Amino acid sequence: MTTAAREILMPAEWRDFWALTKPRVMSLVVFTALCGLLAAPGTIHPIIAFTAVLCIALGAGACGSLNQWYEADVDAKMARTAQRPLPAGRMDREAALHFGVGLAAFSVGIMGVAVNWLSAGLLAFSIFFYSIVYTIWLKPNTPQNIVIGGAAGAFPPVIGWAAVTGDVTVLPVLLFTIIFLWTPPHFWALALFMKTDYGAAGIPMLPNVKGQRVTRNQIFGYSFPMAGAAILPFIMGDSGWLYGAASLVLSGIFLILAFRVWQNEAADAAAMKPEKQLFAFSILYLFLLFALFAIDRMVIA
Amino acid sequence: MTQSDQSPYTAEETALIRKRQAARSRVMGVALVGLCILFFLITVVKVGVWG
Repeated sequence: MTTAAREILMPAEWRDFWALTKPRVMSLVVFTALCGLLAAPGTIHPIIAFTAVLCIALGAGACGSLNQWYEADVDAKMARTAQRPLPAGRMDREAALHFGVGLAAFSVGIMGVAVNWLSAGLLAFSIFFYSIVYTIWLKPNTPQNIVIGGAAGAFPPVIGWAAVTGDVTVLPVLLFTIIFLWTPPHFWALALFMKTDYGAAGIPMLPNVKGQRVTRNQIFGYSFPMAGAAILPFIMGDSGWLYGAASLVLSGIFLILAFRVWQNEAADAAAMKPEKQLFAFSILYLFLLFALFAIDRMVIA
Repeated sequence: MTQSDQSPYTAEETALIRKRQAARSRVMGVALVGLCILFFLITVVKVGVWG
């Protein structure tokens, strides 16, 4: 028996289970869910609100775990993901699968019993969508993977809203649409300067399949409907001037950065400063947009 | 045959396994206590003690 073979049999550290949940992705999910919850009309007891956000976080953790369970072989081929618990050999795949399924069942069950069954149903569907539709079906098969798969990441504010109201109206669907349209420019900006990494793993990201020019056109193209969706809550009278002004300014900056990406012809990752700037700003954009929307709605309320 | 011949692990590896098991048990314990408190609070809210 080799040392490497014995390493596999060592019990994983709790930190490895924590890493399986993709904590950084989870933070954005929790944040947008909290904003959806705060922006919703009506009241919810703080303990139930905490439970709802906890369940959404655990559901996101389940998605991360199941994603890493399925993609362990692919992760091993990319420098960015090679040190994750499974490709690094710090955990066996079965443990990751059990952890992911357990988290999913637990989060949906508690959400249903403690909050309401609509939000539990939405949470269950989003876990199914991310784990099965995106991870297993779309991601390895089509360069449109993150366009359709982006829906999974757009569910949290809708679930947060449904936790308070018990229904889904036009406004949470609009929040869903903003994240749905934000996802392609965000991920394709990353895919442009990580092209080699994704290519080595055989994942058909748009830059690898259709080329950098098409990807840059698509990034710029998606930025317009995204900006339009971002301003819609104000136009429809569902938010005040604070959000209206913020969405205009933030979307304006986003469009300028997307325009710079569109202008850029660089093929080398080192010369892709506009792409890196857009990727970094896109995260800040979503955080600020949703935070200001929630604050604005609370001020109106 | 000595005990070390029977075990697939060295003494250092056995100590590391015990250390990891203890750390996982502590984390699991904290999580379970937290969930017990949360379930108690949810029950109190649901039965309407706090309105």
